[in-house]
Amino acid sequence: MNLASKTYEAGDIASVQELYHSNGWTDGLPIVPPTRDAVEACLDWAMTPPDQLVGIEPVRAQAVTAEKLAINAVMAGCLPMHFPAVLTAFTAMLHPDFLLHGATASTGGCAIFVVLNGPVRLELGAAGSFNALGNSDRATATIGRALRLALINILEVRPGGIDRSTIGHPGKFTFCVAEDEEDTAWLPLAQQRGMPPGASAVTVMAAGAPRQIMNEWTTQPEEILETFAAEMRANLRHYSLHAGNYALIIPKQLREHIQAAGWSKADIAAFIHERARIPRREWADVGKGAVVRDRGDTIYPALESQDHLLVIAAGGPAGGFGAVIPPWLGNKSRAVTMAIGACVDCEPAKG
Amino acid sequence: MAFQVLDPTNEAAPPAGLLAPRPGSLRGKTVGFISNGKEGTKGYFAHLDRMLRESFGVAQVVSRVKSNYSAPADGYIVTEIANWDAVITGIGD
Repeated sequence: MNLASKTYEAGDIASVQELYHSNGWTDGLPIVPPTRDAVEACLDWAMTPPDQLVGIEPVRAQAVTAEKLAINAVMAGCLPMHFPAVLTAFTAMLHPDFLLHGATASTGGCAIFVVLNGPVRLELGAAGSFNALGNSDRATATIGRALRLALINILEVRPGGIDRSTIGHPGKFTFCVAEDEEDTAWLPLAQQRGMPPGASAVTVMAAGAPRQIMNEWTTQPEEILETFAAEMRANLRHYSLHAGNYALIIPKQLREHIQAAGWSKADIAAFIHERARIPRREWADVGKGAVVRDRGDTIYPALESQDHLLVIAAGGPAGGFGAVIPPWLGNKSRAVTMAIGACVDCEPAKG
Repeated sequence: MAFQVLDPTNEAAPPAGLLAPRPGSLRGKTVGFISNGKEGTKGYFAHLDRMLRESFGVAQVVSRVKSNYSAPADGYIVTEIANWDAVITGIGD
């Protein structure tokens, strides 16, 4: 395999770490040395030639090749089997709807939230149960980290460089979850968003930090979901009035009540769409009265339409804890879902 | 154990833009503003407009606001730039 990247020599593992840290090539954590063998193994697994163009970031006209993405995936700790998910997620991030430059450069400081669906989760050991949004498993940890390292190194999204985030959030290290499809009657997120049943897919969303909720004192879907809606209203008040994609993480304990009442994800979205909205005058209650002006009675919904809600079944078996994951900034970036391995042009040429 | 490791960066620099010729003076010239439309831009550009006309003799100031403050300037604004002698852009957080 003909790799184009420059090669560096390092005497030992400590020298490798210093080489990468001193050049600004890490997220501050140690990396796995991206050797030729490890990088080629990733590309082989994905049946992708090194010079395959993953896409071009349009604002700065930066090309992203599979080889560079694979180097960063290895550095993040990915195994070859993780690489197709990284490749697909980065392709999705380069979709115009995602507005990658804005989402990665903004002072708003969002992270790339990734949701894995389909059989690939089981092959990779990506778990959507205990500690789903935290350090739940190797696959989600490394896939999410690979995207951040690729942004840093391929697109120069470094703090103070292209990344102008004021505060950012911990999801900028890694922010990936697998949906717990085996333990819910609901349609997987990717299927809800148009992927065929049984397809493995990733969804990417430019996302703020998770806002955790708790409600263990009811079995009524309306009451459980009212807590989620209230957290979304809080986001509209305290952060931004712009409508956009929101994700809800609903754990087993809460979704069992909702499912027992016969509610689907579409029912949840319809309820949330109706309840998660505020009049602009509420900004005056939280110190932002200066921009209410004569529009106090105007109603601002969190979702432009029900389809913009991403409902995700994930979380450990016990506890009434869920999360609202808000958009970076309204609909300026839209969530993108893409099937893994669906590119018919991705096989390397024969011979 | 020695390692041979690969460069994770793009290596190829992004295409460099060319700077337009610098005007020797702004007197009698047309200056365009491209604002990202945030609240803080209003006072800033209003003051700059006054300053350019009164202190630098600028003949005309053309103000344009991007439709999306997180995206590049709209195509019609970029097209207009050719009609200006200088352009000032900025954010107003």
